[in-house]
Amino acid sequence: MRSVGAAAAADPAEPIVVDVRAAAGGDRDAWDRLVARFTGLVWAVARSHRLSDADAADVSQTTWLRLAEHLHRLREPERVGGWLATTARHESLRTLRGSTRLVPVDDDFDAIVGEQWPDVDRRLLDEERDVALWEAFGTLAQPCQRLLHTLMADPAPSYADVSAALDMPVGSIGPRRARCLQRLRTMTQGTAACPQDERMMAG
Amino acid sequence: MSEERIEIASVSDGGVSEDELDQLMAQLGSIANRLDPVPAAVREAARAAFAWCTVDAELAALTFDSWADDRALVGVRGGGARQLTFEAEKVIVEIQLSGGPTASLVGQIVPAGAGSVEVRHEGGSTTVDVDALGRFTAGRLPGGPLSLRCSGGGTAVPVETEWVAV
Repeated sequence: MRSVGAAAAADPAEPIVVDVRAAAGGDRDAWDRLVARFTGLVWAVARSHRLSDADAADVSQTTWLRLAEHLHRLREPERVGGWLATTARHESLRTLRGSTRLVPVDDDFDAIVGEQWPDVDRRLLDEERDVALWEAFGTLAQPCQRLLHTLMADPAPSYADVSAALDMPVGSIGPRRARCLQRLRTMTQGTAACPQDERMMAG
Repeated sequence: MSEERIEIASVSDGGVSEDELDQLMAQLGSIANRLDPVPAAVREAARAAFAWCTVDAELAALTFDSWADDRALVGVRGGGARQLTFEAEKVIVEIQLSGGPTASLVGQIVPAGAGSVEVRHEGGSTTVDVDALGRFTAGRLPGGPLSLRCSGGGTAVPVETEWVAV
């Protein structure tokens, strides 16, 4: 199983800088590596705003097109992940504000808590404990859902990139993550969703 | 984000370890991976975006969007035309988008001058003329991201607008 924890966030930044510079110089393989590294993050940011398949795809494509035109202008190429996450967040908010099915103007996203995550097929979850956990996740407060959703990106994003995705100080991400997970665990406890022995084996 | 404190002591016998939280996070990641992986078409579109990486043009940044500007939102949203402004150092490009699936646009480039605008989108691009007053129109636009590349007229080097989803 892939690691989603904080430990996976410590990729050295240098190869990313090399790839940004190479891609800006026309190296398609370097661009593909950037896509492989960050496309999951961009997608997760769009999804964390509860965008549909079509809207999330538009946000993703717009974000990557923006990078293509900004690539040789990036002042801090080592922060390209944060740049992508910020762009995806702005584009997601733009999409939400522009759509007619709309959320309130004042960004009161709590107003749509309880709405189902769009376009996913829960039948893909065959294990009881996954179903229980996912249902519990859906009832978390919106800020918690958005944070955890961003952290679920594959490959796992760095805290610096998550910070950009959520416009939140990097130092607050660890504590908030812990609080949100604590709450999630409280909600699923006692439902036999995660028996002790199974947890041990999963580790 | 609201500060919601969890009383750890009441959660379970002695609280929850970091390891347990990491496992929970890993389980969530695994679920998300199964329920909602990045679609292959989205990944492919991200790769293909590289084709639009050009270095010979000046970039005009999006500086106004009637969809995104809070002041403009009140009373304007819903069915009306969308106005966008892009600004480069010495050039301003203003466009008005209307219509739904078969969108069209009218635009103006300042400073004025005859030239051409290449309307770039997912499926390729179409080029339209700019008149002596800097005005241009384009129709039958597909949905999705769009960018304009403006040549001639009052601009010495081509000017490209930032991509924006329409």
